This record gives sequence, C-alpha cells and structure tokens, in this order.
Amino acid sequence: MSDGDLTRREWLIRGAGTVAAAGTAAAGGFLLHDPDGDAGLRKPSDGAQRLRNYFETIDFPAGDPRISVAVGNESQIEQLVRAAVGGLAPNDGIKRFVSKGDVVLVKPNVGFDRSPHMGATTNPEVLRWVIRLCKEAGAGKVIVADNPIESPEACFAKSKIRDVTDEEGAKLVLPSQVHFESLVIRDSVPDARKREALGRWPIFYSPLAQATKVIGVAPIKDHNLCGASMQMKNWYGLLGGRRNQFHQAIHNIVSDLGMMMSPTLVIADATRVLMRNGPTGGRISDVKIGGEMGRPSVVASVDQVACDAWCCEHFLGRDPAKLAYLELAAKKIAAQVAGGAKRFGEPDWRTYERQGKIVTTGV
Amino acid sequence: MQKPHPRKGKVKITRFRDSWRNLTRITTIRIAAQCVTFAMFLAFVLLTTFANLDRYPGLRLWVSKILEIDPLVSIATAITTHTVYKGLLWSLIILIPTLFLGRFFCNWVCPYGTLHQFVGWLFRKLRPKDTIEVNRYKDIQHVKYYILAAMLVAAVFGSLQIGLLDPICLIYRSFTGALLPAANMPAQEIFGDYKVHRGAWLLGIVIFGLVAMNLVIPRFFCRVLCPLGALLGALSRFAWWRIERDPVKCTDCDLCLLNCEGASDPHTQLRKSECFVCFNCIEDCPEDALSFAFLPPKKHEVPHTDVSRRKAIFATVAGVLFYPFVRASGRSTRDFSAKVVRPPGSVEELEFLERCIKCDQCIRVCPTNVLQPAWFEAGLEGLWTPIMNFRIGHCQLNCTACGQVCPTGAIQRMPIEQKLGLGEFSEDGPVKLGTAHFDTGRCLPYSKNTPCVVCEEVCPTSPKAIYSERRSLTVREGKKMAMSATDNTVRVTEWPRPGQPVGEPVLFDIDRWRGDETTIYHVSIRHQDGTTESHRISGNDTDTVMIEGRFARRPAEGAAVVMQIEFKVPKVDTNLCIGCGICERECPVVGDRRAVYVTAEGETRSDQYRERDRNRSLRLLKTASCSGGGHASEAHKIDLRDFLT
Repeated sequence: MSDGDLTRREWLIRGAGTVAAAGTAAAGGFLLHDPDGDAGLRKPSDGAQRLRNYFETIDFPAGDPRISVAVGNESQIEQLVRAAVGGLAPNDGIKRFVSKGDVVLVKPNVGFDRSPHMGATTNPEVLRWVIRLCKEAGAGKVIVADNPIESPEACFAKSKIRDVTDEEGAKLVLPSQVHFESLVIRDSVPDARKREALGRWPIFYSPLAQATKVIGVAPIKDHNLCGASMQMKNWYGLLGGRRNQFHQAIHNIVSDLGMMMSPTLVIADATRVLMRNGPTGGRISDVKIGGEMGRPSVVASVDQVACDAWCCEHFLGRDPAKLAYLELAAKKIAAQVAGGAKRFGEPDWRTYERQGKIVTTGV
Repeated sequence: MQKPHPRKGKVKITRFRDSWRNLTRITTIRIAAQCVTFAMFLAFVLLTTFANLDRYPGLRLWVSKILEIDPLVSIATAITTHTVYKGLLWSLIILIPTLFLGRFFCNWVCPYGTLHQFVGWLFRKLRPKDTIEVNRYKDIQHVKYYILAAMLVAAVFGSLQIGLLDPICLIYRSFTGALLPAANMPAQEIFGDYKVHRGAWLLGIVIFGLVAMNLVIPRFFCRVLCPLGALLGALSRFAWWRIERDPVKCTDCDLCLLNCEGASDPHTQLRKSECFVCFNCIEDCPEDALSFAFLPPKKHEVPHTDVSRRKAIFATVAGVLFYPFVRASGRSTRDFSAKVVRPPGSVEELEFLERCIKCDQCIRVCPTNVLQPAWFEAGLEGLWTPIMNFRIGHCQLNCTACGQVCPTGAIQRMPIEQKLGLGEFSEDGPVKLGTAHFDTGRCLPYSKNTPCVVCEEVCPTSPKAIYSERRSLTVREGKKMAMSATDNTVRVTEWPRPGQPVGEPVLFDIDRWRGDETTIYHVSIRHQDGTTESHRISGNDTDTVMIEGRFARRPAEGAAVVMQIEFKVPKVDTNLCIGCGICERECPVVGDRRAVYVTAEGETRSDQYRERDRNRSLRLLKTASCSGGGHASEAHKIDLRDFLT
C-alpha cells in the first residue's frame, strides 16, 4: 500500500468522525430550531419568583398590642429599642420575632449621602441595637442592605451605617446587578387607574432570598412628593431598575410597596425627625429631635400601615388622612388578607387605640 | 537558542551555587524590580476608589505616586504652569539617576514597558537570526523625539498634550477606562457593578493595538512612540555609566542583540539615548566583551539622539502650529461647550488645559461614575480629560475625592467645607459646577400635563434649589358650555365650533375629572358678563361636573366651563443650584435627553469668578488646618461638625 492511500482502519475512523460531526450538527439544529420564529417574543420563564410573607411564620396573638411606642432620651437608644420591641411582646421580647438560627434582613434607610445628624438616614445607634437584639435572640446571621439613590459606598460610609454594621458583625450587602432579580409582584400588568404600579420588577432579591425574617428600620421624614417617608416608603430601597418613573404616581408605588413587603416587624426611628426639605434635608434646622413629640422615640409595630399613620400624626404633626397611600395600602393588604394572607393593614391608628392595641412606654 | 554559560567547563559548581548565581544575576534583580513596580502600579490603581480613600485617607498621597515620579509630567507641567505641583517633586528620583545611569526607568520601573516586554516575551517567538534583525536600531526610532518636541513646544504655548502618549498616563487611563471594567464584568459578585466609560472601546483598542505591535517590532511603543522615553533618552546623553563593548574580546557574533530591549546597537557604537540599561546584552555575550562601564571612551558611543535637525525643526513647527489651530477652533474660549462641566475644584478652563494630563485617576476614584473621559466636547485638546455626564451619575455633595488624587492640581485638593461653602468659606458660597435648566418641551408637568417633580425630591441643597409652583392649565379640549346648573353641579355640552350645531352632547368617563392627591382638577366658570370663578371638581357624571362647595353664581346657559388641571411645576433657583446634576440623573424622562439638564453656566471656576476662587484657595493655605477653622464662629462649628462627622 502506498503512503498516500488510506488504510481501512483510517478510513473507518475518519468516516465515523465525519458522520458524528454531521449528526451533531443536524441534532443541534433540530434541537434548537425555532420553527415559528417566535422565541424572541416569549415571556421570560425564569422562575416566577415571588416575595415571601415574612410575618406569616411568627406566632402573633390577635389581641396583642400592634404598635409599641418608647419615649426617652438620646442617650438611651438601647432602652428605647428594647422597650419598643418589648411592648409588642411583653414576655418574649425580640424572641417572638427572631428565633435561633434565623437569617434576619435589617433594612435601614440609607438613601442619601448624609451624616446621621441630618436625619435623612436611619440613626446608626438605633440600627446597632436592632442588630444586637437579633443576635441576642440567636439569629444565625444578620444582613444589612439598601439600594441608595446616591453611590452606595459613600452613603453607607457617610451615614455611619457601615461602621455599625461592621462593628456588630452583621453582613453588609451593597447593591450590584448580581443581587437583583426580576420578581413577580403582581400577576397582572399594573393598571394606574386601579392605583397599581408594580407588575414584574427587578428587586434587590439576594438578601431577601436568604432571609427568614425581615425588619424595617426607617427614620420619619418629610417628603416633598408623598408627604411623608416612613416605613412603607423604606421598601423603595429594595427596588432596582428605572424606579424613578414611579414618582409620577407616588401614592400608587408606596402603597404597592406596602402590599409587596410583609415584614416581620417595623421599627420607626423617631430620634431625629426630618421636618422639612425632605427627603434629603441638609441643614440641622430641618431636623427636630423627637419631632412634634419633642423627645426621641422608637416605635415598633407589626402593622406598617397603622405605624406610618401614627408616626405621621405624632412626629410630623400632620393629618395621616392626607397620606393617600395609607388608605390605598390598606385596601391592597385587605385584598391579600381576603386571599388568606396573614398580616395587618389598618389605615387609621385610632382603631387600635380604641382596641387598646397601642402601648406607650417611658424610658 | 541556548546561551552558553561563560564559565561552563572551567569551574565545577554545585547546583546550589548555580541557582544562587542565577538569583543574584543583575537581570534577575531587574525582573524582580519590574515585578515590584508593576505590582505597585496595579495596587495603586485598584486602591483608587472612594471607599478606600474614605477609610484610609492617607492613601490619597500614594495612589497617584507612579504618575508623580514621571519626569515628563513634572517637566511639561512646569513648562505650562511654571510650577511643580505638590508631589511632582518626586519625579526627581527618576530624573537625577537618569543623568548618571541612562534610561534605566524604561526597563526597571515603567509598568507600561514591563507590560510590553512581558507580552513580547510570551507571544513573539522568532528564529534567533530574525530576532537579532528586529533588534537592530532603526531610523523609525526618531519618531518619538519629534513627538516629544511637538508636545513640549505645544506646552510652551499652554496646551498640555503629553498625556496622550506618556506611558504612565496611558496605562493609568487604559486600566481605568477599559481593562479594569472588563475584569470587573465577570467579577461583579465581588466588586460590585462595573463602571461605564465613554469610549472605553477606543481606550481598549489603543492599548491592545499598541501592545500587539510587540509582535511586529519588539517594544514598538517604547522604541518608537514614547515621549517619556525620548525625554529620558535626551537626558541620558551625559550619563556617567553605560554599556561598553571591548572590541578586542568581541567576535562580532551579534548575540548581544538577541535580547536587546532598546535596539541600541550594543554590538557596535552604543546608542546611549536608546539603551534601556536592561543588561541583557551583558548576560548574553559569550565572550564577556560587554560591561556596564564608568566613563568609557567617548568614541565607542553615539551620544546624541541622532535626529535630523531639519526634521526636528519641522516637528517644532508642528507644535507651534498646534496651538493656534486648536485655540482658533474656539472650543476652550468663545465657543465653550456648556457640556464641559468639570469636576469640583477644577481650575479655570485654560489653566485646566495647562494641567490635566488625562491620566483619568479622577475618573477612577469617582464614586458615582459621573466623571467620564471627554471626546471632543472640550475640543481636540480636551480629549480624555474628565467631564461630567449626568445621565450616568451625579456629583455627590459630600465628596471631593477627584481632587484628592489629581497629581497635577488640575482639580485642586479641597476640603469639603470649601465645596459646600461652610465655615470660613461661607462668604464665598459653595462651589458651583453649573446650573440646572428645564427643557419645558420634554418636562412632564410642563408639556405633558403629568405630575412628577422627582428633581425636587432629590435636590440635595437646603433649601432645595429646585422648588415647585402649583400651576393650572386648561385641559386639551377642556372648554365646554354650560347647559344647566345647580348650586354645586353644572351640566355641559361641547363648546360650539364653527360649522357645528350648538348643544353637541359630551360623554365623560365617570369621575374622569376627580383627580387624586397629585393631580387636581378645577373647573373655571366664565360668566357671560366676563366675571370668573374657579372650583375644585369632586367628581363627574357623563355630562355633569360636581364641585366642592357651591358656585357663587349658578352658571347660566351659555357660560364657558373650562376644565383645568393643577399640579406642581418645577422651577430652579439658580442662586441655590450647585450643578450637581442629581436632578438630571434621576429625571424619569429618559430618552436621549433628560427634561432637566445641567450645563456649565454659572460655574464658579469660570473667568468671572476666577479671582474669587484664587483668593479663597490662598486663604485656605494660610489657615493652619483645613478641618478645624480657628476663626469659625460658634454657629459655623456646629455646621462643620455636622458635615464632617
């Protein structure tokens, strides 16, 4: 046999290789074939993730207080936080809300690059004691996360939230594209006429996905668009995407946020209340210690709607009936409750007052 | 090709001593030095972030250090500004040794040179004979001297262009704009979102292309283009030490060219200005004919740069003409672009162009990504200088990081009180980068009857520079005619138009006019005697509008009933606006242009404010401390504490 000729073995090997390549090409082609050409139009099918209800897993008797107010001094942040949480669960304290091994997401408001004195961000000392309480209750991990308007590094540094988070051994999660996921907030396309804003939307999900409990810790602030920025508006920091478009119908989005998030607990930081020029503030004179109450306070609640209403009236001295998002959120939450969800959403705090579900503790 | 060991066979050496000798070889030490300087460069660039400077303020003195030791930066800025800015004095640690040792910087220190050498070593594999050929001196190596001459002449006139090709500026800029974001893209989990940079593709192509040229001509950039190399080459003319060939020992084998980095012809008369002092030739010489000698015979060298005088003059002419060409374009003077919003602390534009070396360290450190390398907004001269792009980010109120890292003072180091106009700076007011304007044709409340004012929400000054006014506008086709009325309702028909019958019925959606918290509808009644009254609408039927309260006078049939929408319309108080651009960044009208935008108008660095800025910077130098303010009143102290803590 001359050098140029293929042996039978070589011929078989080459033939088999060619046939295999042709087969792979054909199989691949048919496998990936889009006969109708509509693949580009199909809805993304990536897991229709939804947010959990973080309140559902705790045992909360219907007759217990739902708003607990602690009033004291600036030097008594620890006692304020303990008393506020303790008021909701006199025997268990924080242990009712956080169990051993829980992963707790604590969500402060770090929206702007402001020092703590400016009242535009959560008081870091309040946050410190919330984290400590969670750890005392045996939380396995405490995560602190927010998606600020300005650069996250700067906001977390300037507001001292990063310092407190590091000192207390909590995990700080700064927003980055990898942490966001498109979640189904509402099955239907949002209809502005029905005062809806969110359908499917990118959410700062990775901390929420890990968490078994969520605690919102937001300051009480004036807000030029929606009147007041408190606990429900705080969840705005969980939104990604082009969220600035929502401001055209701000009450729709804030009430949708109230519907979207069912936190384990909210803790209102009314130590430094931003009375005007909100939500950014910028001058010491915009801030009033303790707001209209006159004394630094911390409010804990399992009903963020009623809590916002109470805080609006008592700290900002404004009529909560003018905050349209409270009524809207209450309606949206009522629809969830009718569908079997376990949560509270009472727009008028006086209802709770009549039922004796508001407790006040002096520290 | 195996390089014969000079002492092979003469002395028996143990393996240990052999490896020790390898370690202490001068070329091994050189490689170690290159690794150290490259690692320092990389560490400095990586550390140049807002978060790091915030945590470790001392870092600001280090992160631009490799730029500060660059003699071309200090000499060229000394030519344009007649001063040597702060840390640029460090360049003496390169400049003075060069006068004695030659262009050692190129092969011992320069991170860009190291990058070229490494890539060439890794990817360029030629036969030894061909390698020797590509390492011979070539006339094209003159080019860098022409480039240097043209750039320095342009600098004499006040246009600093060395940054375009200075290797340190170039590598800093390429890492900031192209390479680090590229590395960051897959590593977002660790480092957070990657930043975007206008024209990153061009920065990427430039550095990749220049590095790729190594496969054609080794160290192409260093030998042919590098203006810093040219400067150091010129300075090394009088060097006391240099590579010296012993013509008696030399067998003319040309093996010294095998690894010659600078193509400086060590095999014959050494071209001093081209030699990188890499010592490869000494290592490679099988006859020990080469040495690094002290004041060797002058006839064995080509000391001068071997540039043709006519061509040098021609290059000078290019530099001379560059200045009038770019300035006559007017971009930095009368046809100044309003898009050129410079970072806070920037000196006046013409001085800025005398100082900015386009290293883009400010862009690297900027926490919001607002600083972007310019294209031609600031003219040809301003290519790759920092300008603000408020579609991408905004200038954060409590941040002066860009000025902290600027090596040349184009952006001045400035305490935060100066930027905000607090304490001793309260008389001067805050640094203003520009002014916000509304594009009323795009703004939702202005032109689309849609409530918005996000701009007001995010405005960081106190009181807010952006405020809003309530304004009523007649709704499209909102003019109707009254048919009948009660005390608080009015039934309407279409306003008669020419050619149409009177009394055309209307058909409103139920509660179409009720509005909500942010949108309020009014009905304005124009009675037939010309008097008017206006009421808030509480609801409507298909043809009847209900109002809150009562009419002063029931509208008679034929009265005009005009539907008006009322909402907040944003305005800007130009005296309070500091031009930070957060309004533009957050504006929900995205498109190609936002409805609110910031231009450089009113910037405090501009000519009209120049004297004031100078004065306050000088005053700053005179006060002992930046942060305390010994003269500050009690009230100011409170302010400072609030902003500085």
